[in-house]
Amino acid sequence: MEGAAHSDTPGTERPAADRAAALARLLHRDCTRLLELYVSTTAVIHASVTTLLLSITAPPPPQKERESFLSQHAPGGERLVTLALCPEALSTGEQVGHVRSALRRCMGLLECLIVREVEEMGEELEGEYESLRKTVRDRLGHLLHSTGALLEEGEGGCPPSPPLQCTEDEVEASGSFAAKIWTYRVLQELIHWTDSASQTLHLFHSEKHGQQQQQQLL
Amino acid sequence: HILVSPHTCFLLFVFLLVMSLLPLCNVTGVGELPVPRGLTLSPDFPAQTLSLTWQSDSSLFDLEIFHTELMNVVLNETVAVKADPVTGLHSWTWHSPLPLECTSHSARIRARNQQSVSQWNPLQTIPGSDIPEKSESFMFPQDKVVPVGSNMTFCCIVKEKDDFIEMMYGRQEMSATRLSRRTYAITVTNQPASGNTGTNVICCSQRLTLTGAVVFVGYPPGDEGLVCETRDLASAECSWKKGRDTRFRMKRSRTKYTLNGRDCLEANERRTWWCSSKVWEESWTLVARNPLGTVQLTDSAQLTDRVHLLAPVNVTAVEVEAWSATLQWSWSVAAYKKLEMVCQLQLFAHELSSTRNYSGPGLSSVVLESLWPDVDYTMTLRCGSKHSFWKWGNESAPYRIHTKMDRPDALDVWIWMDSSNTGRVFWKPLSVRKSHGALAGYEVSQSSAEEDGRTPVSLPPGNFSYPIILNNSSDITVAVAARNPAGLSQPSTVTTPAYRADSQLSVSELLGTNGSFVLSWQPNVNASSGYAVEWVPTGCSGLCPVDWKKVPESDCSFTVNSDSLVAGVRYTVSVYSLSTGAPTLLQRWQGYSQEMIPSQSVSKLSPSQTGSDVLLSWKATAMEHQRGFIRGYTVYLANAAHLDLIANISDPEVQSYRVKGLSPSFYKFVVKAYTSAGEDAGSTVDIKIEMDTADMLFVGILVPLGIMFCCLILISICCYKKREWVKKAFYPEIPGPKVPGDWSSPQGPLDVKPSPHSLVHIVENPERDFTKEGLFPVPEEEEESENDNIEVDTDSDEPALLRYYNHVVGDGSHSNQVSDSSGSSTASVGSTQTEITYAGIQSPTSSQGACGGGGYRPQMQSVAGPAEPQIEFEADFQDDGLNTGYKPQCSWQLDSPEAENFSGSLGSPTSVTSSQFLIPESSEEQPQPSNTWFHNFLSGKS
Repeated sequence: MEGAAHSDTPGTERPAADRAAALARLLHRDCTRLLELYVSTTAVIHASVTTLLLSITAPPPPQKERESFLSQHAPGGERLVTLALCPEALSTGEQVGHVRSALRRCMGLLECLIVREVEEMGEELEGEYESLRKTVRDRLGHLLHSTGALLEEGEGGCPPSPPLQCTEDEVEASGSFAAKIWTYRVLQELIHWTDSASQTLHLFHSEKHGQQQQQQLL
Repeated sequence: HILVSPHTCFLLFVFLLVMSLLPLCNVTGVGELPVPRGLTLSPDFPAQTLSLTWQSDSSLFDLEIFHTELMNVVLNETVAVKADPVTGLHSWTWHSPLPLECTSHSARIRARNQQSVSQWNPLQTIPGSDIPEKSESFMFPQDKVVPVGSNMTFCCIVKEKDDFIEMMYGRQEMSATRLSRRTYAITVTNQPASGNTGTNVICCSQRLTLTGAVVFVGYPPGDEGLVCETRDLASAECSWKKGRDTRFRMKRSRTKYTLNGRDCLEANERRTWWCSSKVWEESWTLVARNPLGTVQLTDSAQLTDRVHLLAPVNVTAVEVEAWSATLQWSWSVAAYKKLEMVCQLQLFAHELSSTRNYSGPGLSSVVLESLWPDVDYTMTLRCGSKHSFWKWGNESAPYRIHTKMDRPDALDVWIWMDSSNTGRVFWKPLSVRKSHGALAGYEVSQSSAEEDGRTPVSLPPGNFSYPIILNNSSDITVAVAARNPAGLSQPSTVTTPAYRADSQLSVSELLGTNGSFVLSWQPNVNASSGYAVEWVPTGCSGLCPVDWKKVPESDCSFTVNSDSLVAGVRYTVSVYSLSTGAPTLLQRWQGYSQEMIPSQSVSKLSPSQTGSDVLLSWKATAMEHQRGFIRGYTVYLANAAHLDLIANISDPEVQSYRVKGLSPSFYKFVVKAYTSAGEDAGSTVDIKIEMDTADMLFVGILVPLGIMFCCLILISICCYKKREWVKKAFYPEIPGPKVPGDWSSPQGPLDVKPSPHSLVHIVENPERDFTKEGLFPVPEEEEESENDNIEVDTDSDEPALLRYYNHVVGDGSHSNQVSDSSGSSTASVGSTQTEITYAGIQSPTSSQGACGGGGYRPQMQSVAGPAEPQIEFEADFQDDGLNTGYKPQCSWQLDSPEAENFSGSLGSPTSVTSSQFLIPESSEEQPQPSNTWFHNFLSGKS
C-alpha cells in the first residue's frame, strides 16, 4: 500500500498529515472499488455463462449480480452530505475540519448502510463486497481519528456533527428499490469526500512542511 | 375523492351524462327493480383486491369496473351475491391484476333478475397515485414476493410534466401500455427466480428520473424429512432436509420455522436445519413458512427408539501384548451407563483392517483378541442402543496402538541341486504376518549321516539362499531358521535330493496355458509329506531364481501362476515327492509359459555354390534367445521390396537348404526361425552366381563360331543349289554376236595381248591412258574374242564385275575403284567395246560422271565434240578436286531416269554403235588375270 511504502522510509518519521493524506487516498480507492462491486456487471456475465452451461442438466443457480442497472441509469438527486454544518473554510486547517465533518457524516451513513444490509441479507454473505465494506468502515474510522488528531494540534475545526440515527427517514424510503438508490448515493458520497479529504490533507501537509522549513531557515 | 383535473372532469361529465340518459331509453323494462344502494369500495393495496359492499334486495348483480381516467372497462360481470344475514350487506371482492395504486378505479353496480335490470348506481371511485395531487413518480407494486413462473403487472407513474421513455424488467426492455395520463404498465409472464437482492424493475423518464421497484421471485418452502432423536436420553433434536432452495436471501422472505409451535432459533437465526427441544415429546410438528407458502412436517416416536449416542471419550489402550490388547473409554452422559448398547470397533492396519462388535450395558472397555504382533493399529469406536437400534452414534477420535513382537513363523525351505555335489538351499521371505517383527537375519545349519551338528551360519536378513556342497555321497539335511528381536523361529529342514540331469530323464514338453503351467502327475505312495513343485529357468547356473511350491499329498495337480513366470523363458519344472528323507524326483517338464518370437536370428548363415545350386546352411540361435520351441525355418528369396518364400522347413533339426537351378545373377536369401509365436527378424546372406569356365568358353567362343560356320555352310549350299539363278541374276549368259563371215581367224595386229604385267602396269599409270594413241597388247585369252570385236568373252567383263564385287564386300580395292572413277570419263573415251556393253557395270562410272556432269551420255560425248565436254570436265574436275576419293553412294544412287534404267538392266548387254569405244583401250580396264574364286564361283566355273 502506498501509505505503508512511505512509512518505511528510513531515517525519517513521516508527518501525521502526510500519513492521513495517504490514508485518504487509499480510502478513496477502496470506496471507488466498493461502488464498482455494488454495480458490478462482471458477476452477471459470469452468472450468465454459468447458467448457460448448467441449464442443460440443472436449474440455474441464484444470480450473484448486484445492482447492475445503476451503472446504466445513475440516479440523480441532491447530495446526502453537504457542508452546511460548517461555514465556508478559509484556511487549510479549517478545510480539514470541514472535510472531517463530512467524513463523520459519511461514517454515519456507512454504518446505517451496513446495519440495513446485514438486517436484510444476514451475516452469512461474505463476498468481496461485504469484506471491502468492512475495510472501508475501519479505514474511515482511522482517517477520522487521524484528522481529529491533526485538528487537536491547534488547527481547530467545525464542531462535531450530531450522531446519525439510522431511521427510515435517513434511507428516505422503505422500499428495497429506494434502499438500493440510497446505498448508491452513500457510496458516491464516500468517494467524493474521501477524494476531497485526500486533496485537502495533501495541501495541509504541504503547507505544514513549508512552514517547518521556513522556521528551520530562520 | 374529487378529481380536479380538467381532463378528468370532462371525461367524468361525459360518462355521467351517458349514464343518466341510458335509463331513460330503457324505462319500460327496468322500472320495477330497485337500484343497489350504498356501494362502497374498499381497496387492499398490498393484496391488489377491491371489496365492494352494497345493499339491495336482489341477489343477482351486474358489476362494472373501469380505469377511471380513460374509462377502460376492466371488469364487466354478472355475479350472484347473497346478502349477509347479519348485516344485510352484499359483499364481493375483485382481485385486480394491476396494483390499485397505478390509476383510479371506478365501479358501479345494478340489480338484475331474469327479465330485467335496475339502473346503475352512481359511480364510485378510488383514486390512484396518478392523480394530480401526487405529482411525484411511482412504481407499483413494491417488494412483491411471487412464485417462480407467475405473471405480474408493474406500473410506472411518471412525474407531472415528465414524459415516459421505457420500462425494464431486470435488463430486459418491456413493451408498456398506457393506462392513464401518467401511468404506464408492463406485464411480465413466467417470471424466473430472482437473484440475491431481487429483480429490479425500473422506469425511465425524459427527465432522467429513476423510478423502480424490486420483485422477489422464488419458491415456497420445500423442506422435508423431519426426524427427531435424543442424544442424552432426555432432550430431543429434530432435523430435516432443506429441500428445494426457495431462492430467497432477504431476511423478510426467508423461511421461518416453528417446532411444535415454538420458534426454531437454530434454523431461523443460524440458518441450520435442525431444532432442539429440552423435553422429548412423542409427536413433533415442524412448520416451515415463507411468503409464498407453508410446509408442515411431522414425526412421532418413543425416546428409546431414537437413541443416537454421543461419541465415546478418553479412549485408551491398556495391556497391549503381541496378540491382544485391552481398550477402555468413558461416556460424557451418565445415563448411558445403564443403557444396553452395542459398540463397533474398527481396526485399521496395513492389510489387517477389521471390524469387531461388542455389546453390554454401559460398555466402557473391551479386550481385543487376535491382533498381530508388531503391527500399528488405528482404531475408532462407536456405539448404539442395542434394543431398538436406531443408528450408530458418533465415532470416537482415532486411537493408535502398536502390538509387541513375537518369534517368526517357520520358513518355507527348498533345496535345488545344480550338479551331483553342489546345490543351494532357498527359503522364502516371511510376510509381515509371519515375521512378527523386523527380522534380524537367518541361521543355516547342515548335517549329514557322517558328521552331525555343524555350527550354524548366520546370514543377514537380505539373504534368501545358501550354497550347499556335498563332500561325499551321503545326503545333507539343511535347517534354516529366521531370527527377530523376539527370538528364533522353528527351524525348517530339507534334505538334498539326488541330482538328475535333464539328459538322464525323459523331459516332456510343457505348453503354457494363459501364461501359466498346469501340471498334473501320478500320485506317489511315498509322498508322505506331499509334493514339491519346483520351476527354474532351463540352463540356469549359479544363483538362479528357483521357485517352488509345496502341495499336500492329497493333491496331484498344481498350476504355476503367470506371476512367477516370465514369458519367453524356458522353464524346467520338476515334481518331487516329499517324505522324511530326501525328496524324490517324480517327473520333469520343460516349457514356456508363453512363447515369443526368437529374439535373435539364426547364426552362421552361409551360402555355398555348386554349379547353379546354392546350399544355405546355418546354426540355430542359443536357447536363451529362442524364447519358444523352434518349430522350423523359413527360407526367403529377397527381392526389391518383398520376400518370396522358397522353403518352409518344419523340422528344426534341419539347418540347411539347397536352392537349385539358379541362373547367374545376384541373390539375397533370408532365413528365419519360427516358434509358435512367429518368425524372428531373419538372417540375410548374399551370393552372386557365376558361370563355369567351360560354360563361358562354350558360350563365348564356340557357339558364335558354330553359328557363323553353319551360316556359311547354309549360304554355300543355297548358292550351290541356286547357282543357275545366281548365275542368271549376277552373271547372265551373253549371247554371242552373229557376224557373217569368218571371224574366227585372228587378225594379226589385234592378236597381241598384253601380258598380265602389262595390264597391271597400265592400271597403275592411268595418265598414260589419256595420251596413248594406238593399240595395246591384250592377253592371249582374250585374243579370239578381241579379234572378233563383237563376241565378248566373260573375261572381258571382269573389270565391271570386280567393281561390283568390291562394292558388295567393301574390300580394300578402293584405290583401284577411285582410279577407275577418277578416270571414268577417260576410261569411257578410251574404253573397249566390252567396257561399254554392260551398262549395269558401267553405270557406276557413268553415274560418277553424272555427279559431276549431269548424267551419262557416252554418245553425246563424241557427238557434241570435244569443246563442250571439255568445259564440263573442267567443272567436274574442280568438284572432284574438292571431293576427292571414292563415293560409292554416288555411283549407285542414280539421279537420272537413265540411271534407273541402268539399274533395272543391270548386267544386260547394251548395243552401242559408237565406234570410238571399240578401240581396244578396254584392255586397260581388264580385270586382273588373278580373278578370285568368287568370280569363278559366280560364273559357274570350277
